Amino acid sequence: MSLKYGLLGLLAEEPLHGYEVKNRFEAMLGGTWEVNIGQVYTTLQRLERDGLVRPAGERGDRGKLLYELSDAGRKALDEWLAQPESGPQELREDIYVKLLLAARLANGNLGPLLSRQKRAYLQRLRDLNQLEGRARKDGRIDLARLVRGALLHTEADIKWIDELSEMGISGESE
Amino acid sequence: MSELVQLSDITKVYQGGVTGALNGVSLTVEEGEFTAVMGPSGSGKSTLLNLIAGLDRPTSGSVAVAGADLGRMGEAALARFRRDHIGFVFQFFHLLPNLTALENVLIPAQLKSTTSAEARGHELLEQLGIGEVADRYPARLSGGQQQRVAIARALINQPTLLLADEPTGALDTRSGDQVMELLMEVHRRGQTILLVTHDAKLATRYAARVISVLDGKIVDDARLETTERAATDVIRVRGEESRR
Amino acid sequence: MTAILVKALADLRRRRIQAAVIFLTVLLAIATGTMALTLMTQTRDPYQAAFQAQKGAHLQVSFHPTTDPQALGNTPSIIGASAAGGPYTATSLQFKSKGETFNVEAIGRANPGGDVEVLNITSGRWARANDEIVLTRSFSELNKVSIGDRIKVINVASTPVLTVVGQVVDIDEGSADLSGQHAWVLPAAVSTITTPGLSYYLMDYRFPSDPTSAQLTVYMDKLRASLPSGSISGSATYLLIRSVFNITNQILTSVLSAFSVFALAATVATVATLVTGIVISAYREIGIMKAVGFTPAGVVGVFALQVIMPALAACLVGIPAGTLLSQPLLANSSHALGLAYVPSYSIPLDLLVLAGGLLVVTIAATLPALRAGLLKPITAITNATAPRGMSGRRLRRLATRIRLPRAIVLGIGDAFARPLRAVLTLVTVLLGVATVVVAIGLPRSFELINNSETGAGKYQVVVSRSDAFPDAEVMQLLNAQPETARVVALDGENIAVQGIADPVNSRVFRGDSSHLSYEIIAGRWFKAPGEVLAPAGFLRDAHLKIGDSFTGSLYGQTLQLRVVGEVYDISNLGHELFMDYATLPANIPNSTPGTYWVTLRPGSDVNAYIQRVAAAQPDLINVQPNNTSIIGPVKIIDSVLLAIAAVLVLIGIGGTFNTLLLNTRERLHDTATLKAVGMSPRQVMVMVAAAAALLALVAGLMAMPLGLFLHRVLNDVISTSTGNDTPPSVYGVFNPFELVLIPLLGVVVAVAAALIPGRWAARTNVVEVLHSE
Repeated sequence: MSLKYGLLGLLAEEPLHGYEVKNRFEAMLGGTWEVNIGQVYTTLQRLERDGLVRPAGERGDRGKLLYELSDAGRKALDEWLAQPESGPQELREDIYVKLLLAARLANGNLGPLLSRQKRAYLQRLRDLNQLEGRARKDGRIDLARLVRGALLHTEADIKWIDELSEMGISGESE
Repeated sequence: MSELVQLSDITKVYQGGVTGALNGVSLTVEEGEFTAVMGPSGSGKSTLLNLIAGLDRPTSGSVAVAGADLGRMGEAALARFRRDHIGFVFQFFHLLPNLTALENVLIPAQLKSTTSAEARGHELLEQLGIGEVADRYPARLSGGQQQRVAIARALINQPTLLLADEPTGALDTRSGDQVMELLMEVHRRGQTILLVTHDAKLATRYAARVISVLDGKIVDDARLETTERAATDVIRVRGEESRR
Repeated sequence: MTAILVKALADLRRRRIQAAVIFLTVLLAIATGTMALTLMTQTRDPYQAAFQAQKGAHLQVSFHPTTDPQALGNTPSIIGASAAGGPYTATSLQFKSKGETFNVEAIGRANPGGDVEVLNITSGRWARANDEIVLTRSFSELNKVSIGDRIKVINVASTPVLTVVGQVVDIDEGSADLSGQHAWVLPAAVSTITTPGLSYYLMDYRFPSDPTSAQLTVYMDKLRASLPSGSISGSATYLLIRSVFNITNQILTSVLSAFSVFALAATVATVATLVTGIVISAYREIGIMKAVGFTPAGVVGVFALQVIMPALAACLVGIPAGTLLSQPLLANSSHALGLAYVPSYSIPLDLLVLAGGLLVVTIAATLPALRAGLLKPITAITNATAPRGMSGRRLRRLATRIRLPRAIVLGIGDAFARPLRAVLTLVTVLLGVATVVVAIGLPRSFELINNSETGAGKYQVVVSRSDAFPDAEVMQLLNAQPETARVVALDGENIAVQGIADPVNSRVFRGDSSHLSYEIIAGRWFKAPGEVLAPAGFLRDAHLKIGDSFTGSLYGQTLQLRVVGEVYDISNLGHELFMDYATLPANIPNSTPGTYWVTLRPGSDVNAYIQRVAAAQPDLINVQPNNTSIIGPVKIIDSVLLAIAAVLVLIGIGGTFNTLLLNTRERLHDTATLKAVGMSPRQVMVMVAAAAALLALVAGLMAMPLGLFLHRVLNDVISTSTGNDTPPSVYGVFNPFELVLIPLLGVVVAVAAALIPGRWAARTNVVEVLHSE
């Protein structure tokens, strides 16, 4: 969904060619999301079919179309932007299932597992820190903000690990 | 690189409870390292710093700093040791309110009866970006400025080891960042730094070695890599294209 | 109200040292004050009461033996007396008792009662036979003569023996250590003990209301006019005796009052310092108290109560203690008056002192506590420690410039960080040191004066002769001794001077008297006949100054006299004349000297000399070493001074200790920081001691001039009360070395007081203090 609305949002700034939209989207996400140009065109076609975007002007040479946002598209965009994310917390990483399983199978001796994971997280934090530093130095504000969010998420994960370490899963009452 | 700090099998027990105790901790710190010690409150991380600075004595085990066995030293010798080898930066600055910024900075040098420390004091204040507040009293300085004065004070005697206990804990984000950048700069010039913090973001940003302490034990001693990695190797953003 | 009380009590239990300091300081001050006030109010003229009870004589006059007793009997109505006693026959009596020789005036009297000068028999009985004698109790106690003792009269050749049968208190006499005493025998017995031609008549007169000095002069003039000229040989008025009697107590009360004020001031300073300190240390607590619901008045109340309660306890102990302590001194007075000692104190006075003391303490405690009341809760909680002044910078700069070690520099700079507290501490130390100066100086001054009165160092042997042994023989005997370097012979006369009611006692010196120990305040010793010296009292009352001429009359003869100098002498409250023997007219009866002051050559054995001379004439002369010991009243005053000085020094030390304790407690955070950056325990102690030393030094330097001034003032008060000006030598009893030493000693004491707080600070647990934020 965010690709669809990402494209809509970029078109809200100004009408763009398909490849321009792709480039801008990738730039905004600082290289953390590489999109396939085919996917972009498919999405644009769907959006046109749904009446949210429309071609602007004539097909130029090479058959490349300039797309622009329709009124319906703007309305849909605004609605999407306004709506808070109220869906469930998505925990996609393996660590969550891994820990639960390990708890059952390893008779509660999670110490080594937790500290290995924490070390990995720490390294990730360090990498994120360095990335943020470079992004700010390069003036890439969007990327810096994104990295900041990732940093805090990782910090949260570390805190979860710490809590688990402190409480000692083995020592928890049922 | 020489080993500056050696803690061997340190146990520290306080009367009336286990809070802050250390239980069989061994640790070495090399010259020129920037090490972070992390842990929840009550884990013993501050105790570690206090032991290294000679402000506290272990119940058992030995502490050696810069080749000196702290266990053999009396109070007066420990005081001299602190004066000559340790620079301490605290969370709450702990400046003397009756003295100007410069006077605060000069104290460790003057306790040693060093002459001409004043020039070095001014120099340090300049380097830390607060040269113009030398004659102001702490009450007239912002938190960030006060902490910088504290850092200058910690550095005046060119200590072997700089210990920082939650140095940004009492500061706003911006001042905190400035202070950490200064510590980083000082480290780049060769200063060995030991930082205690509960903030993992902070620890991993500046320290290449992160020691995790829990319940009086070292549970991890991580040397982290400092390689430059592309954004996409660090973060992947995924949207919900699958949903309609 | 309960909440306030509960909180105050809880705080008090925690702050035990402060409570103890307040208790002790207030106790000392209140006890001293109560003592002074009780003495002042209860001794106001006890003499007056006794005088009335014993129908004391306002005027006692002695008459030439040739005077007609009948004429004397008419004098009371002539001069307007309401009652009279006598005429009594009297004589000067010399006797030996237990190896010592004494002089008294023996009076023939049938019974101790009558209309005037009732004698109060305190033990034994009145004489019933002619060989019985009654002495004054004061004389008996001083000279350890008891009832039943036998005394040998030596001024008559037959040397009769008399038995002492009774002791009385005579309201018309001073105490034996300050004035000559009377003794009584039956009228018929007088002739047996009288040296021929040396008896006289004595009359007592009492008037309807207590006459003033001027009125007494008038009475004397009337008396003189009613009798043949030359009849009157001497007189004494009740005014003189009363003054002499009251002097000791007067001096005591003024000294005590002055120093009670000091003690009170020191207490106020200590209390104020304490409360300020408590308020500062409880800053955060105050905020919480207010947030919880204490009103500003309630907060003030909590702090004030913490101080008032120990102060109240101190008053409850101190007021009875002070009252009790004053009793021995009051008993002394009563005893001297022959009154049975009745505990005398005034409950209303005690209650007044209680109220006054509590009021002062309350004010001293409330004013600083007001600060606590006015504090905004949020300011107190967030600030947690009271903001401190930044003064001390100049001091530090100065100290750095003279290259003092850093620990001392920091300590000095800190001494005045809280100016009010520093000043208050300064005051307590100042008062302590000033008092010490006075307590050292005044006894020395007394000793100087004592020496001037007793001739210390100038003559070693005192010889007195009975009338049966001629003057020429005494001189021969003394001059025959190889060790005799100089003999000054003394005669006493009473010379009437215009404008002075009583004839003035005169000391007449024969021999080279110029090197005696008298303190000459102005002018010079006499060199020629007719030249006299006198103390300020006489000069003032006779309206004379140095260089003036005046006339005196003695036995009807006129003497031309000229003042050449002012001398210090406390006899007769400054009414005394000093002159050479040559000034006396040739034909004055009974004017041969009776006392001889002998100066021995250096290195002579005094005891051997005395034994030899006494052996030459055991009965008729009395040879004694010169007694230069200090008289009783002075001893009392010296002890009181010492006690007061001790009290004030204790208060001073307590105040300093208290301030140091407060300072170190407040500076705990800074001390921990300093230790953390490398200050050694010894340097911490030096820091604390430096602050104390500086305060003590400043206070000591300021105290010296104050103490010296006070010493001067007190000396003047005492001198004036005895009718004298103060001799310059009495002011300068300190040598310059001591003047420097005393403040330095104060510094040493302060540093010693700093040891305990210093050690305490040096042992600060850095970890606990710095990490407990």
